[in-house]
Amino acid sequence: MLLLQLVINGILLGGMYLLLAQGLNLVFGVMGVVNLAHGAIITLAGLFTFWFATTTHQNPLLLLPVVFAVMLAVGVVLQRVLIEPVVSAGRRAELLSLMVTFGLSYVLVESGLNLFGSQYVSLPDLQTTWSIGGLAINEALVASGVLGAAISGVLHIWLRRTASGKALMATSQNQIGALSCGIDVRRMRAIAFAIGAALAAASGVLLILVIPLAAPTADTLTILAFVIVALGGLGDYQGAALAALLLGLVQSFVGYYLGGDAEYVVPYLLLIVFMILRPQGLGKAGRPIWSDKR
Amino acid sequence: MSLEERHIDTVFQPPLAAAQENATARRRRALATTATAIVVALALAAPLFTSGYLLQLATDVLTSIALAYSWNLISGYTGYLSFGQVAFFGIGAYATAVLVVHTPIPWYVAIVLAALLSVICATALGTVMLRLRGIMFALGMLGLARILGVLAQNIPFIGGAVGLTLPAQLTPIPVYLAMAAATLVGFGLNLFFSRSQWGLAAMGVRDDEGAAAALGVPTVRVKVVSFVLSALVPAAVGGIVAWNRSFLDPPSAFDPTLDLQVVVFTLFGGIGTLWGPALGGLVLMLVGEELWAYVPDLQLALYGLLVIAVVLTFPGGIVGVANRFGWLRRRPILAPAAFPAAERPAASTRTAAGSDAVLEVRDLTVRFGGVVALDRISLTVRRGETVSIIGANGAGKTTLFNAITGFVPPTEGAVLFEGAALAPISAFERARLGIARTFQIPRLMDSMTVWENVLLAAGNGRRAAHAVDQAAWALATVGLEAMWLEPAESLTPGRQRRLELARALALDPTLILLDEVMAGMTRDEQEEIRAVLRRLKEFGIAAVAGVEHVIAAIADLSDRMIVLDQGRKIAEGPPEAVLRDPAVIHSYLGELQ
Repeated sequence: MLLLQLVINGILLGGMYLLLAQGLNLVFGVMGVVNLAHGAIITLAGLFTFWFATTTHQNPLLLLPVVFAVMLAVGVVLQRVLIEPVVSAGRRAELLSLMVTFGLSYVLVESGLNLFGSQYVSLPDLQTTWSIGGLAINEALVASGVLGAAISGVLHIWLRRTASGKALMATSQNQIGALSCGIDVRRMRAIAFAIGAALAAASGVLLILVIPLAAPTADTLTILAFVIVALGGLGDYQGAALAALLLGLVQSFVGYYLGGDAEYVVPYLLLIVFMILRPQGLGKAGRPIWSDKR
Repeated sequence: MSLEERHIDTVFQPPLAAAQENATARRRRALATTATAIVVALALAAPLFTSGYLLQLATDVLTSIALAYSWNLISGYTGYLSFGQVAFFGIGAYATAVLVVHTPIPWYVAIVLAALLSVICATALGTVMLRLRGIMFALGMLGLARILGVLAQNIPFIGGAVGLTLPAQLTPIPVYLAMAAATLVGFGLNLFFSRSQWGLAAMGVRDDEGAAAALGVPTVRVKVVSFVLSALVPAAVGGIVAWNRSFLDPPSAFDPTLDLQVVVFTLFGGIGTLWGPALGGLVLMLVGEELWAYVPDLQLALYGLLVIAVVLTFPGGIVGVANRFGWLRRRPILAPAAFPAAERPAASTRTAAGSDAVLEVRDLTVRFGGVVALDRISLTVRRGETVSIIGANGAGKTTLFNAITGFVPPTEGAVLFEGAALAPISAFERARLGIARTFQIPRLMDSMTVWENVLLAAGNGRRAAHAVDQAAWALATVGLEAMWLEPAESLTPGRQRRLELARALALDPTLILLDEVMAGMTRDEQEEIRAVLRRLKEFGIAAVAGVEHVIAAIADLSDRMIVLDQGRKIAEGPPEAVLRDPAVIHSYLGELQ
């Protein structure tokens, strides 16, 4: 029974992790930029949700569409001002984009510290626990896991089935090819970053329901998202789903049997060990995240 | 390329053609060096005559500079961005603290021991971590630092989460002196990297790791040693800081803020430059010291903004700006005052004797998943022979070259060089054995001058003087001596090809593999390359030229011609016979009605 409990918790955690990673995956896929501020956006959104829910006493899930929309706009601005100048910079693009987003993450984290303080907070909402045949199912975990997986699914359908989504996928596969098909690659980059940031914010809203957050968690979340993307294989959305599930399960078990410190270290260890053993990722479509091609 | 791109592209700048100098210039430079040394010595000595706050501030400034210099070795010169060098600061701090608390060893000895321990750790960690690249390495190092932090929290012997208290002794002056020594060691290592063939190899790894291996650079060794050197000083600094504070706990030993600071300071001063870390550390620490009093909570946010501002406005940092005015430029490594006399160095005895067959490929098959790129290819190249390999795009020419040079592992079959099988040897070793290559699209080291590109290849295993002769000869052979101090990336495409040929020649090879050597060349440029190919014959160097289109330009120079079609050899023989072969005509033109 305990095992089943841990598995269910792991799967639900995995659904949320999937959403957590999607934004990073999208941004990396379309412009080759690892957004090191990804975790900071998630954390800020989570802390904002906490503040909103505790001061207004509204259902925190109401914030989901609002935060998503606001971050779309903010994302476009950030991309135009900070990212676009460096991604078109040719051979040093990777170095410079890492630096810029590294800087941005500290700006965001420090703002978070000043606005929301450094304590870990978690929401008291949605704490009903359903008891089904001896299993304790947490309402918040279900809500965030299911919503996370659902939003990821919508993203997947958008990317595969709609014209605008396909244009984005085309851009991520081959910029010059996309350009020659009349796709406005600059615009696609802005869209990708905006959606990436909005997805990050959305996952922050869900995350605060389940996991206590504080400004300093930002780095851990960036790494977590990156691990999922890297494990799944870049641009491989099924691989990412698999990786998110795997990570959710591993963390669920490690957290229970070995405690919080071990759970915290899991993403880092997985990143290092897995990357060295299997750089191409879990999925089939994945290719190494780095390559010699310039 | 837009203006914006050009501007941002100036992070790692090649040294510019200012180095041709006469005796007066050299005397002036010696004077400048002496003056710099005196100023630095005075600046380092000055805080000794102050005390309290100022001495502590000076110690803090040096701490930052020493860390920035160390980070610059692996992330600046060698190009492996690390967000976790604080790991070695922490290792050094803990080693020192444990030694001081549990043994009678004096603190300054403990610091040296801690640095040694860090070197050992870095050797082990570097061997593993440096298999990662780019973002994977950067985040892998970040993860490593976090893991060590959690580990430290869980080891009661070193104080666990509570921390370790060291015997409190106020020794500000010895601490300052120790920090100054650590800083000077960091500076010395940077000086070594910016002036030596070793540094050139590191920059080669940064600019293009694959091409560097093809030029005989032992890339893995270069990376790991650079990494180990970059772990030496931080450990000592960590030890000094722990001693000075008399207290150590995991958050202060593995403080991510330190990593951010180091990145900011180096970037602000100029990444990959000799003076960047010192200037960045000095300016930002002093400015910060004034600023933080007003905005104590926003320190990290301001650092973050600063990183963004620097990257967007002057990515080369202070030194990059100074370079525009001709100051603080890196001098081309080992460049003599004037282009040296270009006799062929005597040591090229490789081509004189030995077995007749230089290269023998036996039943070589290369598969990528289900795709058969090469299908049981066999061929032999004799000493001094010129063989052209023709075939349409996708015929397998580049894969063949990659398999011969060790860039792609063969699925089946063997490659023999001078009678010995090459199977497990890596790319750089093959280059050193005398197999040189050029690339389909020239892969030049774009932060280097023409001279340094060639010297990089000439320098492998050779003493400096010999390397200089070899490089000069190679450059003169391809006729690029007039532009030897230009940045390599400023050359026209035709000259870039010739520069690649010069690099290949500088290896003193027995065999050169030329991938698409004429592609996209004008008539004149083709003629210049043909002249070089004729010289190869004179020197007795065997050449294998892969050609797709310009067959006429290579046919009359070829002793033999081999035709590949979809990974298979379909013809071999004298050019005139091969080009009349119906199977070859079919392969190129399709069915003729």
